[in-house]
Amino acid sequence: MARIKPLQKLRKLSLNIDKRTFFILFYLYFWLVIDLRLIYHGGGMPLNFPVFYRGWAFFGGTVLYPGGLVEYVSAFLAQFFCIRLVGPLIVTIQAWLIWLCCSSILKASSERRLKWVCFVPPIVLLGSYTRYSYPFGVAMAFLVALGFVRLYMFLTSKKRPTDILVFLCLLMILYVIGGGGYLLFAGVCGIYELLFKRRLILGLVFLLASPVVVHIEGVVFFDFGVIHAFDNFMSRSYEDDKDVLVVVYLLYSLLPATLVGLWIGELLLKGKGSGRLGQFLLSCGGKAGGKLSPLLGIVAGVVVAYFCHSAGIKAQIAVNYYSCNRMWHEVLETSARYPHSKLMNHAVNRALYHTGRLTKDMFVYGQSSGALMLSGETESPSAWWRLFDTYIDLGHMNLAESMLVLSIDAYGERPLFLKRLALINMVKGDTGAARVYLGALSRTLFDSDWARSYLEKIESDPNLSTDEQVQHLRSIMPEIDRDFESLSDSIFLDLLDKNKGNRIAFEYLAAYYLLTNRLDKFAGIMGRLNDFNYIRIPRVYEEAILLYRFTGKKVELGGRAISWESQERFRNFCNVYLRQYGGNKREAFDKLASDYGDSYLFYALYRRSGLKK
Amino acid sequence: MKKRIITFGFVLFAVLLTGALVYGLCRRVVTVDDYSTIDRPAKIYPDYSSTVIPPNIAPLNFMVQEKGSYYCARIYSERGEPIEVFSRSPKILIPIDPWYELLDKNKGEELHFDIFVRTDSQGWIRFGTITNSIANEDIDGYLVYRRMHPIHTLTKGRVGIYQRDLSNFDELVVFDNRDYMTSCVNCHTFCQNRPDKVLLGVRSDIQGAKTLLINRKVVSKIGTKLGYTAWHPSGKLAVYSINNLPMFFHTARNEVRDTFDLNSALAYFVVDSQTIKTAPELSRESQLETWPVWSADGRHLYFCRTPMIWPVEGKFPPKGYDKVKYDLVRISYDLERDKWGELEKVLSAKDTGLSIAMPRLSPDGRWLTFCMCDYGYFPPWQQSSDLYVVDLKTAQETGRYEYNRLDVNSDQSEAWHSWSSNSRWIVFSSKREHGVFTRCYFSYVDETGRVYKPLVLPQKDPAFYGRCLETFNTPEFVIGPVMATGERLLRIFRGSDEVIVDMPITMATPKAGTMPSYGEPWVERE
Repeated sequence: MARIKPLQKLRKLSLNIDKRTFFILFYLYFWLVIDLRLIYHGGGMPLNFPVFYRGWAFFGGTVLYPGGLVEYVSAFLAQFFCIRLVGPLIVTIQAWLIWLCCSSILKASSERRLKWVCFVPPIVLLGSYTRYSYPFGVAMAFLVALGFVRLYMFLTSKKRPTDILVFLCLLMILYVIGGGGYLLFAGVCGIYELLFKRRLILGLVFLLASPVVVHIEGVVFFDFGVIHAFDNFMSRSYEDDKDVLVVVYLLYSLLPATLVGLWIGELLLKGKGSGRLGQFLLSCGGKAGGKLSPLLGIVAGVVVAYFCHSAGIKAQIAVNYYSCNRMWHEVLETSARYPHSKLMNHAVNRALYHTGRLTKDMFVYGQSSGALMLSGETESPSAWWRLFDTYIDLGHMNLAESMLVLSIDAYGERPLFLKRLALINMVKGDTGAARVYLGALSRTLFDSDWARSYLEKIESDPNLSTDEQVQHLRSIMPEIDRDFESLSDSIFLDLLDKNKGNRIAFEYLAAYYLLTNRLDKFAGIMGRLNDFNYIRIPRVYEEAILLYRFTGKKVELGGRAISWESQERFRNFCNVYLRQYGGNKREAFDKLASDYGDSYLFYALYRRSGLKK
Repeated sequence: MKKRIITFGFVLFAVLLTGALVYGLCRRVVTVDDYSTIDRPAKIYPDYSSTVIPPNIAPLNFMVQEKGSYYCARIYSERGEPIEVFSRSPKILIPIDPWYELLDKNKGEELHFDIFVRTDSQGWIRFGTITNSIANEDIDGYLVYRRMHPIHTLTKGRVGIYQRDLSNFDELVVFDNRDYMTSCVNCHTFCQNRPDKVLLGVRSDIQGAKTLLINRKVVSKIGTKLGYTAWHPSGKLAVYSINNLPMFFHTARNEVRDTFDLNSALAYFVVDSQTIKTAPELSRESQLETWPVWSADGRHLYFCRTPMIWPVEGKFPPKGYDKVKYDLVRISYDLERDKWGELEKVLSAKDTGLSIAMPRLSPDGRWLTFCMCDYGYFPPWQQSSDLYVVDLKTAQETGRYEYNRLDVNSDQSEAWHSWSSNSRWIVFSSKREHGVFTRCYFSYVDETGRVYKPLVLPQKDPAFYGRCLETFNTPEFVIGPVMATGERLLRIFRGSDEVIVDMPITMATPKAGTMPSYGEPWVERE
């Protein structure tokens, strides 16, 4: 006996380590691979990330509906996703609590605990997050429902006639605070009573009466009708994110299915304990199964992460995150792997401009004519999310405002949008509107200081005459009013009319002409080079000028000359294409791509770029 | 274990109760003893000063915008007990019952606010008295409006019609687009401010564009959407516009959005026969007709009209859209015989130099209010939009419609005005304070037609408007709570029963058929 105890302790310790290992790996995966800051940021997905405001108004407005308290707490905790180390910790703790509750419920129901089942919910959540969905709120409602189930089991461990009252009280409270979680509670408690405690009438009453009780509660306390009383289980946000819907179905069906499966297993085991099926079931639910379950969980987690992972989705959000935070090196590094994505191309151009490389390295990266301003994507929320910062950079406050207002409509009152809308309205001189955006922002968790500082500034100096950013944007904002229906060069020309030193407007205009192959227009603006402090004509421009001249036309360069290197390069390009391959585009492709795939010359010929190795 | 939990609960409760008692007993009662005075009135927000207020309005909670550590407001009038409110924060929250009592006892009298602020350096300071007047006439009990974020093209966010009890701060949902997925509610019209005769336009990706009709206690669904709608005072029919309203954006104007009426006409829905009809003068191919409104006696229909100067299919936006100006016309109507008379011009854009839109008539038939703006048909998106009034009694005597610009206007857009049932109050939407965010303002109108300084719809939290990112538009006075709301309307909307109507016109070109299917996201106007 004395020897058994240390062995048991050791086995227990190893079990604990393994379980802990699972959740440590879980945390590390969220920290290092998923990076919940990206979900917080959004970048066009997910659509249902919650807004949170401090203050009683938001609290009252949220909790006064079924499920409101869980929604409020979830929204609060989700804001911490923006802190790299904290977000994963919160999600891991939630997953661990879910595991704990499942384990406890199964233990209370049956000797066979099926410990590996308890790892399924964390793995389902892991899969969902890997696809950059937001299932945190759903998981919170699930956790609360599990907690109530466990509480019910605890309070009714000794069979008493008052157990039904306990159930009803808990059901009513859960409906108020956890909304749709009551379904799980009623289902699990009903199955528990029916199948494990053998109180058939009670179990049936639980299952059948729950919708009635909830309906009455919804009508009496919340003034709901039939539809509304049950509506909160199926949030509208599930319409926008089918992944979350899958999570809901999996989570809510897992425990009831497991309990029913356990009961069936018990039935099969009675009298069949020596058979193969019985042995298999024994091992699944027994101690061997329990020992293996953390390992199984880790393996399953890895498999799910592998299959759910989409590098493309992550890159898309990450590039936008970097772009919004002006991390240009990271933008370029990540985007380089996706040369054919318009959204990536758009971010690349912005990063190249801000690092002073647009006029030199534009065609080192993938380009397309529609990528510069995402033309043809005006109804895509993902496009709006990328365009507002570009428009702000350019000086087009109205167009930026439009993209931001559309984004609020699609994604909610995110601090990211409010900050920019406040800035835009300050630039436009509409301090009334700016105050409202700042007022809302001042109630967020992490942007309130910025908002308050601007509210004070507006108070003391409504014109914001000392704010550099505001003054700069005012100096480049266009004065010519046009009706904007689709992209044309006028959106850049109007900016240059207002301020001929608007460098980004000039470089984007040049890029627009190059990408749409309008060399005549491009040549027409070369006279503006002297409005900027270019030491020499940028390489890409030289290539375009040489190409234009090759057609026999003249370009006014304001006293500047094309460099010898560009002339030599152009000559070589022409030699290869015209002499070596006789003007055969297809045959010349590989050679030209390898030597000139990063040039405008190649793009002009093939409408492709970024191919030079 | 259970005993421990119960014991812990009791202990916690006892501690909290003791703490509350101690706090309550130890809290010092604050009084204003000595104070210095400043002549000027305190700055308060919202600006509830020098206005005429309804005697049945909710408390005008406000914030004192003066620096201090303690605040006191003393509210008093000729009769009744003054109300004193002390607050550590600048927010002055007036208790409801004493407020009602004070207002009720002092109809027609002045209402004074004395504001005291305590500073660390100077102690209590008393500011100059703020004075308002209490009207004799009540305001209608409810205000129904639409709340939504400012919209640019698509509507995925929340849009709802709400009814606010004006005597307190209760706001209830009439209909909310969360109930039926990616859609919109708008165009709520009440017959003579009655809550039992309502038309409500609803659009949904799944159900299409429909109109809910609340007719006394019966709710039904009409199989088409009615545009800007006006009930005949008899409640027997409603005239509505059919419009084609694409949206576009300005690159440098302060108001980003703009729209124009590509094509429009008027038709009318007859309630009893559940049919839709039109008349030649209401739907000329060469004209754009919109913004119908009935005279108080139901004998004339007023509406706005302009020649159609562009092809339906053409450049977008069409050339000259910013030169389009609408006239205000009216046409006589015989309800008994369903006969339309001759069209007559009321006000010409050529004479006013501006475009006329949104005419509304007071229920007593005396006043005609409308918007005028630089061009176009949609004043809420024109910064130049102002409210004007015509005295119809004088017009009848002189034969001329002399109009006056109301003093309540600001340098921002004023629009969406409507009258209370007793013709003593108007409500309108204005962007005067918050740029893009429209708020509802009330103004008292006396017998001479003078319109007094407006006051914003009061909120329980006076700081509300400083952070509310939604607009309040299309406000309508209603004398009681709307007869059917929320789920009842939703059930009818989702149901299969509907009144099938044959359209005498589709879009604005007179030809029979059914409405085009709505497969595109909604383009919304606020």
